Amino acid sequence: METVLSISNLTKKFGRLTAVNNLNLEVKRGQVFGMLGPNGSGKTTTLGMLMSVINPTAGSYSWFGEPPTHHVRKKIGAVLEHPIFYPYLSGQKNLELNAMIKQCPVENIPNVLALVELTDRREDKYKTYSLGMKQRLAIASALLNDPTVLILDEPTNGLDPMGIAEIRELIKKIAANGKTIILASHLLDEVQKVCSHFAILRKGNLIHCGPVEEVTKGTETIEVRADAERLNELLMTFGGTSSVARENGYYQVTLRDNFHGKDLNKFLFENGVVADHLVTKKRSLEKMFLEILAEANH
Amino acid sequence: MLHLLKIDLKKMTSYRTYWVVCGLYFLTLGFGAASGMEFLKWVANLFDNFGQKLNITRIPLYHFPDVWMNLIWFGGLLKVVLSIMVVISITNEFTYRTLRQNIIDGLSRTEFLISKILTNVLLSLMSVAMIFLIGLVTGMIYSPSIEISKILTDLEFFLAYFLEIFFFLSYALMLGILIQRSGLTIIFLLLSQMIESIITANLDDYVPGVIPYFPMRSIWNLIDFPLPRYAFQEIRDYITIASVITVVAWTTAFNYFSYLKLTRSDV
Repeated sequence: METVLSISNLTKKFGRLTAVNNLNLEVKRGQVFGMLGPNGSGKTTTLGMLMSVINPTAGSYSWFGEPPTHHVRKKIGAVLEHPIFYPYLSGQKNLELNAMIKQCPVENIPNVLALVELTDRREDKYKTYSLGMKQRLAIASALLNDPTVLILDEPTNGLDPMGIAEIRELIKKIAANGKTIILASHLLDEVQKVCSHFAILRKGNLIHCGPVEEVTKGTETIEVRADAERLNELLMTFGGTSSVARENGYYQVTLRDNFHGKDLNKFLFENGVVADHLVTKKRSLEKMFLEILAEANH
Repeated sequence: MLHLLKIDLKKMTSYRTYWVVCGLYFLTLGFGAASGMEFLKWVANLFDNFGQKLNITRIPLYHFPDVWMNLIWFGGLLKVVLSIMVVISITNEFTYRTLRQNIIDGLSRTEFLISKILTNVLLSLMSVAMIFLIGLVTGMIYSPSIEISKILTDLEFFLAYFLEIFFFLSYALMLGILIQRSGLTIIFLLLSQMIESIITANLDDYVPGVIPYFPMRSIWNLIDFPLPRYAFQEIRDYITIASVITVVAWTTAFNYFSYLKLTRSDV
């Protein structure tokens, strides 16, 4: 697969603080790449360096195998941190200005405005927009030049649940068109829902990198409830059980490898117990994230 | 190049503050330059009070070629107003963080600076055109006889005027890029003349030779104050190469400092 972004030994120091430390990363075409990490872990600094607004202390990166120039940036659509526009200009005028900078046709403006549903408000000044509208305008601006790569930094920050769902749908829609997306977020649920690959940063260090599906693979946990006495003991006798815990009135059964929910179900049934609640819980990114961070702390 | 100028103009043309400051500048420049006769009447009135007569029609304030130097010297005083507009234009880019977004969107830092410098060139050229137009009209009205040779005399002062305005706008742009906050930049801009005067006054006793090379002094040296010639005093009615070189050198230095600061810092 074609490499879109390649980062090697990228480092940024702000005085004594090392914001990004010796980062190596590759993003391939078509990936929806999530960058995770607690606040202050160096996500925005990294993206800032990739967009040439922050000068790296050491290391290098290349876009599409080329050294970074401002011409390359015109092929990338990016929103870093929060939306930035001229507050005294209307949404339409701001996009016209962006089109001039990106040297792309102004004919794209109605399309992107329609995509983010801002057509009705295009003549209003940017400063009158709500936060959600500002975020959507930023995405419209990032999509203006029909970029091959889209960089989004906390795109749902400060949005209400409906706004978050809208942006998420938008990202999925864009990803479905085969665009490469780099998404920085500390909302793990968000990353799990839209990303194909992810990396975890902590205090400027890369501590994990891999596909999202890897996370959900592996051992399963089954949540069980049944009207049976000594269910706990019965569950322990099941050959595939690795451990049993009781939480909120449910038994959480962690299975050994190659055992699945249906095996447990069959076992219970054969032992004369009919479960009235049996759910296979996939491992969440959140859990893995916390595990990885905990490991890194040691 | 034209593309970069268009980008910067696009940012300005919908901003009311720009229009207000720009409008005030060109109105003051226009009306101010055209009210020289009123000024002379006021001076004559002053003389009257001391029991002396001053025949203002004998003072060729608006006669070709005197009109050029008179208006240009006066117009130079108003450059501060125009420079405040430049300060607002550049510091806005920092406070709104739009400089950052411009670079993310694909403008190089050098291109960004060039777009600002080109606007400065345009504003300087507009000032030159304005003074030329007013000079031409008032000259036509007040000159006793209109001779092409007299109209064409002293036109080199327009080059000096352009350099003066462009010098000051470059200075304002550099201050804006270094300080990044509009209020502080404007205060510093207004105080620079005074700060320099204090420094040069102290240097006068030791190394008077360096004083003409100070930035603010160098623009005063470009165009001499023209009015003493009507009181039978000698004025320098030509431009010295040394003063031009000094002003151009400072202007280049200012824009180069802006370039260094912009390309080296994180935005």
